[in-house]
Amino acid sequence: MPAISREWLTRKVLLVAAMMVVVGLVTVVFFVAKEALPSLSQAGPANLFSSVWDPREGRYGMLVFLVGTLATTAGGLLLGTPLALGLALFLTQVAPRRPRELFSRLVELLAGIPSIVLGWLGFTVLVPHIRSITGSSGSGILAASIILAVMIVPTVAAISRDALEAVPASYTQAALALGATRWQTISGVLLPAAKHGILAAVILGMGRAMGETMAVAMVIGPASVFPTSLTSPTHTLTTKILMEMGESTGLQRSALFAMGLVLLLLAMALVILVRLVSRARESYAVIE
Amino acid sequence: MARRYRGRRSAQALVDRLATVVIWSFALLALLVVVTVIGIILWNGLGAALSPSFVFGKPQAMWEGGGIWPMVVSSFYLAALTLALVIPLGVGAAVYMSEFAREGRLVRLVRFGADSLSAVPSVVFGIFGMVVFVIYLGLGYSLLAGALTLTLLNLPTVMRSAEEAIRAVPRSYREAALAMGCTRWETVRKAVLPVAVPGITTGAILSAGRIVGESAAVIYTVGLFVRKVPWSPFRPAAPMAANIWHMYTEGALVPDWFRVASGEAAFLLLTVLALNLAARMTARTVRKRMGYRD
Repeated sequence: MPAISREWLTRKVLLVAAMMVVVGLVTVVFFVAKEALPSLSQAGPANLFSSVWDPREGRYGMLVFLVGTLATTAGGLLLGTPLALGLALFLTQVAPRRPRELFSRLVELLAGIPSIVLGWLGFTVLVPHIRSITGSSGSGILAASIILAVMIVPTVAAISRDALEAVPASYTQAALALGATRWQTISGVLLPAAKHGILAAVILGMGRAMGETMAVAMVIGPASVFPTSLTSPTHTLTTKILMEMGESTGLQRSALFAMGLVLLLLAMALVILVRLVSRARESYAVIE
Repeated sequence: MARRYRGRRSAQALVDRLATVVIWSFALLALLVVVTVIGIILWNGLGAALSPSFVFGKPQAMWEGGGIWPMVVSSFYLAALTLALVIPLGVGAAVYMSEFAREGRLVRLVRFGADSLSAVPSVVFGIFGMVVFVIYLGLGYSLLAGALTLTLLNLPTVMRSAEEAIRAVPRSYREAALAMGCTRWETVRKAVLPVAVPGITTGAILSAGRIVGESAAVIYTVGLFVRKVPWSPFRPAAPMAANIWHMYTEGALVPDWFRVASGEAAFLLLTVLALNLAARMTARTVRKRMGYRD
């Protein structure tokens, strides 16, 4: 029966296609880990997680860059989340129909802008502005945070919007019927009901900010030391990898892969965190 | 008592009005950011980006007036090559997930794989592609090495959008095909996929925009600068996004590097915006044509 065997074959081929994401993930993790191994075994974790990066002296510490990543991510979230949340509330609760369409179109536009273009804008406009205002070099965590905030606003706003729209209308109607003002409804009913979704949105935004490379690389200003202020140059994990991968060999290159491995692990930790949050959201919905 | 109540109420009304003002101003701030960002990029680069001698011109290394034609071709070539690889794979995976798979450990594993893969930073894909495709498989810096890397990077999103398009096909279509004696695969091929094609196309165009704008995964797999148009997929190339980075790091050699990078940024932005617009228009015409009359 050729028809059946063909059917069987097609199904297997499609299964292979579906498994490609898993195979791809495993391959990426495997090769990045394999390349990182020499630095782990020869330089050792104590060296890798120190704060001195000086390959000529055999020092491959990534602490400065890890701190840079965490600081720029935190800065981006701090500036971006309120804006994104305000935008999501505007789009779901406050905006009249026409402005709502205009605004959501424009936010989609923002999501489409390539990160290298945002980086170029940061380098040509934002950094010189910060330089002239503060009298410092201009590049650093502040500039990177501002650019990252712009980058994560569309992501966080879109997912928060979905979360807000998923709250049953009966909730808000009940609050309004009890005489609550719109803000009381938002702060007392809507936001608590959507909090898990909003948290998931923030975590996803965090992932984007952490992994962003080009836009940050153009405004963080190359320096492998802890920044002395918000406007002094430093590096993040991603920008250090980008800047040095081209001309590095041996243990130095391996140490850069170790940074890549740290980024991979952080990204996967965030994915698991989102899953836990959305599971909590489901059980919350059941209790409701 | 009544007076106190009224006082509290008017206080609440004041808070409410204040909150409305704050929310409006946040939205306007976001709008301002979008308009400023796009405005400045176009203001600085549109002059170059709209001149044919720039877009179709040969790049120059030592003197002014160079163009970006090889970079433009590289970007589109890379996008076409990547889509040719990622669409069959992504759609196949989506068909399996929506038509054949039963909820279980396997499906959960694939979903976790897709979520994780889409969370991997693009620079990590870049160094992975460098090790595996450029060095280990011996492809060298080439369009093909870049396309393979970007296939992996875009697979989760293509898969997700295709799955959505396929799941949106009404159940009745499948039932009709099955009732006429089609096998499962025939049903998919003849009844489900043709209806889902427009949705899949929308997702693919959006992916093309992402590929054209991608740089971190491309720099160490495809290349940063070329003089001639790379016609073979085994040749090094220089997509616009990567070339902007090249101008930023090593542009000092080119006297008018600032003009070149600004023009390239504007042209890249216009390309991505045009692709996004095309995606939206496909989606809209389709929705209209299908009418959702059932």
